[in-house]
Amino acid sequence: MNAAPRPSGSPSLGDAIGATWTTFWFTPVGAWPLAAVRIGGGLLALALWAGYARDLETWFGASGMIPPGLLAAWRSPYGVSVFDFLPSSPLLWIAYLAGGLVLACVTVGALTPVTTVLGALAFASLLHRGPMLAGPADDVVAVILWCLAIGRSGDALSIDGGARSRLGRPSPAPSVRSRIALGLLRIHAAVIAGAAALAQLKGDVWWNGTAAWWLAARADSGLVDLTGLFLRSEYLLNVVTHAIVLFEALFAAGMWIPAVRRPLAIAGLVAWPLIGIVGGEPFWGFALAVLSLGCLPDAVESSA
Amino acid sequence: MVGRRNRPPAGMSMPVNTPPPPVSETRRAAVTVALAAYLAGLALCVAGNTSSGGSAVVRTVKAKLFSPWMAPLWLDLGYDTLLTHGRAEDGDHRLEIRRLDALGAAGPVVLPARSLGGERAARWRRLARAVAEGEADPDREALLPAAVGAGAFAPWSTRDVSVRVMRHLPPDRADVLTGVADAAGRDDEAYAARVRLVAGEVQLIKSTPREELAPLVQEPTP
Repeated sequence: MNAAPRPSGSPSLGDAIGATWTTFWFTPVGAWPLAAVRIGGGLLALALWAGYARDLETWFGASGMIPPGLLAAWRSPYGVSVFDFLPSSPLLWIAYLAGGLVLACVTVGALTPVTTVLGALAFASLLHRGPMLAGPADDVVAVILWCLAIGRSGDALSIDGGARSRLGRPSPAPSVRSRIALGLLRIHAAVIAGAAALAQLKGDVWWNGTAAWWLAARADSGLVDLTGLFLRSEYLLNVVTHAIVLFEALFAAGMWIPAVRRPLAIAGLVAWPLIGIVGGEPFWGFALAVLSLGCLPDAVESSA
Repeated sequence: MVGRRNRPPAGMSMPVNTPPPPVSETRRAAVTVALAAYLAGLALCVAGNTSSGGSAVVRTVKAKLFSPWMAPLWLDLGYDTLLTHGRAEDGDHRLEIRRLDALGAAGPVVLPARSLGGERAARWRRLARAVAEGEADPDREALLPAAVGAGAFAPWSTRDVSVRVMRHLPPDRADVLTGVADAAGRDDEAYAARVRLVAGEVQLIKSTPREELAPLVQEPTP
């Protein structure tokens, strides 16, 4: 059977999808957006990494509270950590400090083609050593580090870039690798925001508008005491609760609507940390703000 | 076509001396396959790692095809950050470890200490919660509390400790408004056990909550 001839000038659905896919993933992009994500993500990774220092031996030492033997019940059978094989205190500290040094190199953009990969591996390795200690911020930062390893994150705002300038080498051209990294960051930002909204909406407290009370009334994890405000105004409590879910849902959907993507990404720089602070997960909020940074339309898209 | 797509557009924010190299069709196809595989894995990980549990088909496909390479990279995740559902288990947890010898009278060590903040305190709270929640999982039962208790043996030079997980129960807002409950909430014992070292072997004796014990019935005296 012969297919009906397509009118010239109207591309098929397959062509349109292919063109959209190609534009999204393979349009070269400048170095600055991913460099900004690298600095923000690197600082967060360093802060989370440093959070282990005081308890490193208490948890992972030779007679620590989390011996490697019990990890099989907590992590995937494919999970593996270099820290599993470092029972002695000096080796444990050497590996930990080396990992911190690598993440510092990622942050300042030193030897980024190597350090971004090593930093992502080290971060995943530390999380696998104590999976019950990992929180939502760790999950987001792990994604950011892998995206930094995929893209050319050291092309700008970096020691690598400074060294290149001193040697008189030309500035790097816009990169497809960085475009792929930014595309993955945007997809993860939408997925993480959407998954959080869906997870929250399984609970009645997010529907009846009292979730923010249960967050604020927690004993220790709350960073600001909003209980007095929420006791005085039920409407304020409801508005804060609904605003959190609404923003997450809007953010997840809005990343794919060009008209609202920029304002939502800019709003995310402020809203995510606020949600994190109210929710008792400030680092999760800051990590999502870094993802928002990666979702800002870049100069290429703006000029297109 | 490829060259036109990859040409750097006007208005770039940084000086560029060399044009970006065009991406060959072969390379583009390979990257497309890799991206499609990863995005499929991401979708299955999100669907299979929710608190609701994934379907058998999602679990199986994910476990066979994607977990082997996504799990080691810490990417086999559900990202279902619910923050709270207002349940008791969503409250802040803390560990209380007390040595059960003459020096134990000084009181328990509380982890995290009330003065501790930030991510370090959050990790202690997650550990405490994992101890409490492990009791509901036959594969994990007693493993973590025994390890946590045993972890205190060496630094304290003791062989007998108690491990208790306390969780903070925030009060209902309506109860606070009516004066039924205090705004500070109350603490609840989520788990308690004694952990001791006997003949080189770690023993765990779980404490049974009082409400689960059968009442002592005395025989009527004739």
